[in-house]
Amino acid sequence: MKIKITNGMYMALIINMVYAKSIGVTQGSIARDVGSDMWISTIIATVSAMLLILLTVMIIRRMPKADIFDQSKAMLGPWVGKLICLVIFIFFTLSFGPIMVTFVFHLKDFFLPEAPLFLFVFIAVLVGGFAIYFGIEVIARMALIGVFSILLLNGLLILGALEDFDVRELLPVFEFGITKPVIASRHHLADWSIVIMMCLIILPLVDNQKEWGRSSLVGVIFSFIFIVMWPILETGVLTSQVTSQYLIACMQMARSAHLGFFLHRYEMFMIAFFGISILTQIAIALLCGSVALSKLFGLKDFRPLIIPVSLIMGGYGYWVVQSHNHAMDILENSWVSLSLSITLGVVGVVWILGFFLKKKFKSEKG
Amino acid sequence: MIRKLYKLVILMAIMFILTSCVGKREIDDLAMVMGVGLDLVENKNGEEEVKVTAQIARPADARGQTGAPSGQTGEPIWSISATDKSIFGAIRKLENLSSRRIFWAHSYVIVINEDLAKNGIKDIIDFFIRNPELRMRTWVTVTPDDASELVSSLTGLEVIPGQSIEGLFKYSDITRAAPRSQMIDLHAAYLSDATQPYVARLKLETNELSNQTPEQGEMYKNVTHAGTGVFKDDKLVGTLSAKETRSLLLFVENIKSGVSIIPCAENEEDVTTFELVHEELKVIPDYKEGTPEFTLKVKTTGKLVETDCAIGFDDDQKIKELESNIEEKFKKDINKVLDKIQQEYGVDILEAGNSFNNKLPSKWKEMRVNWDDHFQDATFHVDITAEIKSGALLIEPTESNKRADE
Repeated sequence: MKIKITNGMYMALIINMVYAKSIGVTQGSIARDVGSDMWISTIIATVSAMLLILLTVMIIRRMPKADIFDQSKAMLGPWVGKLICLVIFIFFTLSFGPIMVTFVFHLKDFFLPEAPLFLFVFIAVLVGGFAIYFGIEVIARMALIGVFSILLLNGLLILGALEDFDVRELLPVFEFGITKPVIASRHHLADWSIVIMMCLIILPLVDNQKEWGRSSLVGVIFSFIFIVMWPILETGVLTSQVTSQYLIACMQMARSAHLGFFLHRYEMFMIAFFGISILTQIAIALLCGSVALSKLFGLKDFRPLIIPVSLIMGGYGYWVVQSHNHAMDILENSWVSLSLSITLGVVGVVWILGFFLKKKFKSEKG
Repeated sequence: MIRKLYKLVILMAIMFILTSCVGKREIDDLAMVMGVGLDLVENKNGEEEVKVTAQIARPADARGQTGAPSGQTGEPIWSISATDKSIFGAIRKLENLSSRRIFWAHSYVIVINEDLAKNGIKDIIDFFIRNPELRMRTWVTVTPDDASELVSSLTGLEVIPGQSIEGLFKYSDITRAAPRSQMIDLHAAYLSDATQPYVARLKLETNELSNQTPEQGEMYKNVTHAGTGVFKDDKLVGTLSAKETRSLLLFVENIKSGVSIIPCAENEEDVTTFELVHEELKVIPDYKEGTPEFTLKVKTTGKLVETDCAIGFDDDQKIKELESNIEEKFKKDINKVLDKIQQEYGVDILEAGNSFNNKLPSKWKEMRVNWDDHFQDATFHVDITAEIKSGALLIEPTESNKRADE
């Protein structure tokens, strides 16, 4: 029997996949571009992501039982299908860079500066690889728990930061005009691109097909609610200048939160509660990479490819996080342009070609 | 077969991560720093160096209120110092003196000597915000005394002096003698293009009596709040007294309490004490004839807590007179502080630039580069409304009936 996940699990996956990086690493990048308008850029990126995810649902609905690989194979033939597999595998390999930046720098910079870099990357692929061996259902169930962790973290942070929140720091709105926040939204849209690509692969596994569109939108809206609180608090408590100074701005926010006089510093809360989100990202990237590669080689099961994919992605992740400068350069420049090009390219091309090649879907369905 | 291979790979992999607890630190290997003092000193060659003094808790003798000290040293803290050209260099030298690894995460306070602060504290801000071990909510202060002496002095009721200093800040919203300046605020103000930094000022004052020889008067020193250190960028340019700080706090903090003493109308030697229970400020920025203008609308409410004057709380006319006296006094105090900050120091520590930017962002873009110059020329209009809402428990004045009979 083919594995299915519920629509709730699907929404949980969306939320977890975008949360971990968006709340801090991304906000730091946006703050460097548009200062206190970072929450506006976050809204703009989310609106764009809503449109993209609806487009994704439209694409997969054409052949509801086929993922993007099978659909492009049916529509464009085996070789173009294989090309799509390769492009998507490259995308998820590249996505492992920012995912590792988020995972490694949170732990290494703030908790274990003396631990070797290799250890973090190794644990990430080991745990991620182990999780995907049991299939997407396990990760999706874990993501449900992840949503509760996110709720707890956000709740604790609000309690620990509201006392020092100064709404005047959010003003004036649109300080840098309208164009700049729109351009700066690319950083957050790059986070959403991983979710969009994931949806292209896992949507056929989501149980209630009629509710795909609604579930996707609700997932995006809830993600937005969980995420947008961070740039607002980061601006109101830390100020946008302080946020822009840090690579992991959310940890700086957590370091500055306090409950009364006795409970200082939220770094441990932060790691404990955002851990599931980042592990979901690691596992899904490995899963989608393995599935893409298995389709490229025409294998029926992706499991034999877990170790090779883990080695490739882990190796790339390790290369990215070797130095902060290198990581930042990839994160803010090449990753953003490549991820958006690939996502918009794949989604756009498949969507447009679908209009011209309708007959092929019908014959496949028939 | 493949399953067995996977299990073997996973077991082999787990071996790598179960070798030890990487980066672990045992609590009994740590020397917990409770306060840091930073002074400017000259070395043998006449070069300026930073002297770092660490107040470290001696666990055996710092057990808190119920545990009896067992270390028998009589000293709950161990203070050590080292000098070098950089803070990090001096800290590394401190490691040479300590039998335990020095651990900075629990430091309550950073005390900077004013001579060092006049040279600039950019390196101090940078060091403390860059280091993941340190708290962002550590109190930052300046002192005219030696910072090393201040952090090494036993003060207050707590066993650990750093804790006592934190206690001073905990209740500083009642005394309003110093701003509640934490590293996070100092960092933000230093990076800001609209606001200049300010920090609390601490001083050692001889004000403690000996319980054995009280007739000798005050003998021991204690740390007290003593106003505000005012910075231009990272350099200390002046200070505000504790009294002046009360007016400054109106601009930068939420005021919950305060005391004001007003002479009585009938006899100026007699005074009335007014306890402030709520004070709010609304800043209305404007731009007229090339200079910024600010209208400050202050609303003060409070209660009568002590009076020599014959004022009953039911005497509306006298209460109104008292309210207008309070308004006059507050206005005078605020204008005095504004004059000092604008004309003497020429720096915006009042967050006036932020208010101006929020209201008039397009004008701000023209002014942000030389904001401190524009701030010096800015006009402030102070509009105060004071309201006495209660006479605490009393309605009638506390007057002797005997005198009334005469």
